[in-house]
Amino acid sequence: MDNRTLHIAILFLSLLAAQTLICNHILLFGVAVPLVMVYFIIRMPVNMNLILLLTLSFLMGLSVDIFSDTPGLNALSCTLTAAIRRPVFYAYVQHDDRMKEIIPNIITLGMAVYCKYMLTLVGIFSFLVFSIEYFSFADIREVALLTVGSSLLTFLLLLGLDSLITIRRERR
Amino acid sequence: MRYSTWFVFAFYVLVSLILLFSFNTYQRSVWLTSANAVSSTVNEATSTVTGYFNLREINRSLQASNAELENRVLNLTNELQHIRAMIDDSVAYSGLPPRFGYVAASVINNSTRHPRNYFTINRGQADGLAPGMGVVDQNGVVGIVNVCGKHTARVISLLTKDQHFSVKLKGTQFVGSLAWKENDPHTAWIEEIPRHARYHIGDTIVTSGFSTTFPEGIPVGIVMSQVRNSDGNFFTLKIRLSSDFNNLGTVRIIKDNLKTELDSLRTFDRKEE
Repeated sequence: MDNRTLHIAILFLSLLAAQTLICNHILLFGVAVPLVMVYFIIRMPVNMNLILLLTLSFLMGLSVDIFSDTPGLNALSCTLTAAIRRPVFYAYVQHDDRMKEIIPNIITLGMAVYCKYMLTLVGIFSFLVFSIEYFSFADIREVALLTVGSSLLTFLLLLGLDSLITIRRERR
Repeated sequence: MRYSTWFVFAFYVLVSLILLFSFNTYQRSVWLTSANAVSSTVNEATSTVTGYFNLREINRSLQASNAELENRVLNLTNELQHIRAMIDDSVAYSGLPPRFGYVAASVINNSTRHPRNYFTINRGQADGLAPGMGVVDQNGVVGIVNVCGKHTARVISLLTKDQHFSVKLKGTQFVGSLAWKENDPHTAWIEEIPRHARYHIGDTIVTSGFSTTFPEGIPVGIVMSQVRNSDGNFFTLKIRLSSDFNNLGTVRIIKDNLKTELDSLRTFDRKEE
């Protein structure tokens, strides 16, 4: 198993555990749920084969669904988010051969671009999760509140996690 | 995207949609639920640690429930002695066998933030559980068994938007339908209470006993306020639920020993119609 595969496997399992065992039980102020599993899609290498990305994202969503009794909900949201990840990335980054090799993070993209990229994906993912879960125009206010609250909470958590990883790497 | 990528994408979306729409609340497959072997093992391991977190609150609630039951036993014992002294009868009466039996279980996974919530318990078919059995904790009604594995089961929580329970105002025959609508795990609504029903804020809502799922008189909640209803013949009550769904620890599953008999009578009635 090469280094990159091991890195992906560890990220997959740790995010699955964090989402199902901790984050699924949090509802802050009644409107904010941390959806940290989206970090898996955010942190995949830009040049990763799209079929592989779709498969891994679908499996991540399905695994979370099985633990949370929400069959299909996270699997669909993860698959759709994975499908639009590349267009979102190139909306903020210019097409450049050097960029194809990178793993998106604070160091490779810079703080401003990385924040925009992450916030967009987190926002889209949160909107998908709650609109599919409620699936009714009658609950549109609830969906909007949960989307905004959860996007902000998830974004802040992931940014904190990213900063910790960056600081540790710089110390090494 | 190339054609093969489109095909894979469409396949995953289709599988997700099938799971989302055909895998409804009443499905029977245990493998795609939290009651399957892998997730229940992980959840059980986690609950051995997290189970200690709410012990203070659960203990307080159990002590209150115990005190109330002791009080009731004392009163009933006094009443029985008084009645025995009054009745001079030599005919022995052994009474009917108890209709309801209970199986204790621990909650190993729980959710309260979804529109449809479930929790998982560490008892299953091997312990005599079957779908449709009622589940209560020390404070009142909490759900209905939905899917059974061998040693685990998934329970539809009372906090489920499309689930209705038959309830009534305690001490009356005014029956209504309990529904959970909001994201708040502490409040619910009683719909279709007849307009002429008399009630006070703080009155207790209990199960009606009109089904084989729950015996009559199990607490559900306390009346908080009345809500205006567009239908002139009925009104809706907002209630505070008795059970704390964020701190579910030990629950009891209710087995109705007359269920088969009553269900066969209902089937017979339907055939006659």
